Amino acid sequence: MFCPMVLPAFHHGGVYRVISEGDSFLRTFVSRNVLFPESRRDGSTMKCARCLLQLQCLRLVGQSARSAAQHGALLRSTSSSQPDMLHNTQVLRRFHGSPACAKRRPVPAEFINEDDKKRDKSLVTHDDLFEQVAKEVKTKATFNKVVDVFIKRDIRRRGHVEFIYAALKKMPEFGVERDLVVYNKLLDVFPKEVFVPRNFIQRMFNHYPRQQECGVQLLEQMENYGIMPNMETKVLLVQIFGEKGHPMRKYQRIMYWFPKFKHINPFPVPQQLPEDPVDLARFSLTRIANDLDAKVTVYQLPSTDITESGEQIILPHIVGIQSPSQMQLLAQHSPSRPVFVEGPFPLWLRKTCVYYYVLRADPTPPDEKVEEPFDPERCLAFPLQLDLDLDRDFGDEESFDVEDLDEGPVFAMCMTSQGDQAVLNQWISGLQQNNPILGQVPTLFRLDAGPRELQGPADTESAHQHRTDPGPQREERQPEEDEEPRRSQGAKW
Amino acid sequence: TPKPPAQIRAPKSSTTLGKTLLYNSGFKGDLTDFKPAEVFPYPEIGNEEAEEISQLVAPVEKFFNEEVDSAKIDREAKIPPETLNGLKELGLFGIMVPEEYGGLGLSNTMYARLAEITSLDGSIAVTLAAHQAIGLKGILIAGNEAQKQKYLPKLASGEHIAAFCLTEPGSGSDAASIQTRATLSEDGKHYLINGSKFWISNGDMADVMTVFARTEVVVDGVKKDKISAFIVERAFGGVTSGKPEDKLGIRGSNTCEVSFDNVPVPVENVIGEVGGGFKVAMNILNSGRFSMGSSSAGMIKKLIEMTSEYAATRKQFNKSLGEFGMIQEKFALMALNVFVMESMAYLTAGMMDRPGLPDCSLEAAMVKVFSSEGGWICVSEALQILGGLGYTKNYPYERYVRDCRILPIFEGTNEILRMYIALTGMQYAGKVLTGKIKEMKKGNIGLALGMLGKKLKNSFGSSVDLGLTGKDGVVHPSLAESAKKFEQNVGLFGSTVESLLYRYGKTIVDEQLVLKRVADVMINLYAMTAVLSRTSRSISIGLRNHDHEVLLANTFCGDAFFKNNYLMTQLQKHSPENNDANIKKIAREVLEKRAYVCSHPLERTY
Repeated sequence: MFCPMVLPAFHHGGVYRVISEGDSFLRTFVSRNVLFPESRRDGSTMKCARCLLQLQCLRLVGQSARSAAQHGALLRSTSSSQPDMLHNTQVLRRFHGSPACAKRRPVPAEFINEDDKKRDKSLVTHDDLFEQVAKEVKTKATFNKVVDVFIKRDIRRRGHVEFIYAALKKMPEFGVERDLVVYNKLLDVFPKEVFVPRNFIQRMFNHYPRQQECGVQLLEQMENYGIMPNMETKVLLVQIFGEKGHPMRKYQRIMYWFPKFKHINPFPVPQQLPEDPVDLARFSLTRIANDLDAKVTVYQLPSTDITESGEQIILPHIVGIQSPSQMQLLAQHSPSRPVFVEGPFPLWLRKTCVYYYVLRADPTPPDEKVEEPFDPERCLAFPLQLDLDLDRDFGDEESFDVEDLDEGPVFAMCMTSQGDQAVLNQWISGLQQNNPILGQVPTLFRLDAGPRELQGPADTESAHQHRTDPGPQREERQPEEDEEPRRSQGAKW
Repeated sequence: TPKPPAQIRAPKSSTTLGKTLLYNSGFKGDLTDFKPAEVFPYPEIGNEEAEEISQLVAPVEKFFNEEVDSAKIDREAKIPPETLNGLKELGLFGIMVPEEYGGLGLSNTMYARLAEITSLDGSIAVTLAAHQAIGLKGILIAGNEAQKQKYLPKLASGEHIAAFCLTEPGSGSDAASIQTRATLSEDGKHYLINGSKFWISNGDMADVMTVFARTEVVVDGVKKDKISAFIVERAFGGVTSGKPEDKLGIRGSNTCEVSFDNVPVPVENVIGEVGGGFKVAMNILNSGRFSMGSSSAGMIKKLIEMTSEYAATRKQFNKSLGEFGMIQEKFALMALNVFVMESMAYLTAGMMDRPGLPDCSLEAAMVKVFSSEGGWICVSEALQILGGLGYTKNYPYERYVRDCRILPIFEGTNEILRMYIALTGMQYAGKVLTGKIKEMKKGNIGLALGMLGKKLKNSFGSSVDLGLTGKDGVVHPSLAESAKKFEQNVGLFGSTVESLLYRYGKTIVDEQLVLKRVADVMINLYAMTAVLSRTSRSISIGLRNHDHEVLLANTFCGDAFFKNNYLMTQLQKHSPENNDANIKKIAREVLEKRAYVCSHPLERTY
């Protein structure tokens, strides 16, 4: 049982000598593990492992081939020295040989030595590893590189649990929190077969609890981001924790519930929202209106003008939506009663918040409601009303509804990056073209100050960049003057 | 002993059978007021008339068999002028125009008989119908003497062709969306008509049109827009017709848009009174429908001849096609349908021919719905008998299928007509039942118990005695079983209508699925009546092959009995057969999405 002693020393170049002493073992060990990474195991079970290995050679050729090739590829990408390349080709070639053959032609120990020398010999936390590798850009590529570095640094994957926790934490920063391939790659960091219980006693008790917990944690993060595991995940979990481990149970639960809930939202918001504010406004308005007849009109495109005096004028975008039935309602609106422009109201789309304004009126008071008189000469074919003195029976009365409240009509909606009265007035003028009645109806502006406190600097980082606290969507929105009352009222006649 | 044909009793009021049926079926439950005399015996025509008809029918039949090339008409989408001239010479453009105005002056019954033949070509049938069933009908039924004198002779001879201009782009049966406007000129002598009308049959060739337009009328000192009917001559100027529509069937008939641009129409050309156009339009439409029963019957009779020829000669597995049960079923279906259509059509026509101009619009609508749907099924089955051959243009079946598809659509769609049928019935039944239902709602225990007892009785299959069978029965004993079934249906229908009125009251107008079933039951009941009446007469006077009629009548009545029972079960509250709520929900969800809602069966979620 020298392994627990060797392994800590192995990591640090300072005690490299210990490794040299156990060189012959190491060679065997390395060659076997590089060749058949699926069967990597503790030194204590070495013998046992070898027997198993031979069995697996026959059983898991397909899987081994995949992961052997994968490892080969990883090595190729991370190592630069010639011997490594040589080794790499050897590995790939030797895969076809039997384990006995591999034993006879061991891999030079320099592989580990060399690689280790390049690295900082001090003990570093895994968070730092991420920071080190990805100094400038944090992308999927760099994230993968970190994982590769970790895998290659230590053949025993010592500290892999800590590494995986650290990686999980860093994923959003690298913008890979929704990438299944990356999760699978992280899962692949676990050594295979080691944590699979091999008898009923192990199965009964919590076998390798820390590792299992880590695996569950990884799956849970996937779950939280709505990432559904795939077949590769399952294969990995089976290889790492066995058919009935906790991570496998977690996987099964995810696979039970996820498909059921996948389409639970009848109004799904796309993962990628449109970048262009006009497109975003169009999307949001269509979503709020939820009316296939509603027509979106872009009253003004965002643009920057420079006046003759050199002053820069930013014209905000104004996008509105109105449906034919809203137009009809507006046309029937009594000009003696005002219509209101109200807002801004927030609309959250995932992590983005946008604001909209509505044109509405108060509900018609009951005494002003005009019921359309019944015209008996309306329908040429059949009577539209029966001349009977019988009402619907109480048992068949279904019209009662506590939610049926008269809130007053909403005539139109709009979104703009700059919700002051002047801009909204422009919207109303635009609406007036198709709704001539707006020329006669008094229009009152009842605008709230808006979400000033939420405003942050424009977030212009690259697309993958995760926003921890989303800034408001309307970056250009200018804060309203302080003198302005909270509820500014102006009338447009 | 054969019954002597009883004297046809003219109805005292204008209530005709359909209404009486409902009126009675809802009345007290004892139906003492049922007037079998209205439908029993089956209406007959006099010997003179019969002779006249046979004289008329022969040349028309000859003309259609020899001179009309339906395939060519369909192909070229035009009726050749010589064919049209032939039709004019036969007098077919003025069948119902009185003789003093140059028409044939035939009765509704005779018109129906001729329609059987003219329907052999869909395009010609529609052209003729657009001309006289609706086009000149306005002048005929609501025009004044001067208008009749001026227009009818030329229309009857076919020198002028008429069209009926009501439909507009935005309106079908909705009179409120008629936009065409007639404004009185300053001198008060002319109306200027502006607007355009859609889907006008004969629109391209019509010389005289009945046009409906909005006019300003002062009612009780208030200015109002009301519909008026005008006789518009193309010669007035300003009338333009658009490109003919390219249609699925009845391709030889002309359908196009007609536009009116400041067309000056003299004030004396208003049909009826100014603002009275709505009634004129309704009367024209209601009176034009009855002939569809005989038209469909004529067409299917022809198809039976053609397909049975094929079924007898075509061999499969050493058997002729006619020996196969599934083919036999199709022939039985066609024969049954023809039989019922004929019975209904001539019963209705006969009732309409009674003195006093009885209002038979309800019956006419029932005939139209039944025959248009039956016609469609039969034509499709006839094509099926021929299989692939029927699908080719080498045979006329595909043309019949295409032509037939218009039947459920025009002259009021079947949906609209079902509403009319059911609501007219409900209105009559409601008038009688309102008092009783109100009493019950107030908690009159005696009445409620009485109703309960009646319901119980009905549930045991007891029926009301309408006096159809028995010693003084009007139905022949061979049909006694069928008559009993009819009586049972009528009994159950009475209580069904009553409970519907109890549940929905006047809001039944919005219960279209309920109304559809009510209409279907009424149509079936009317069809049963017609069949029973006709067959009883045939047996009594010993018509040739009346035993076949008995067979058909009993088969149909048995079938209709089950259908009615099913429909009425569905109409009961909380009936498990009734899927209405689900149907509405499905439709609502589909319409919300405006697409088929389900995911594709090949889609996966994991």
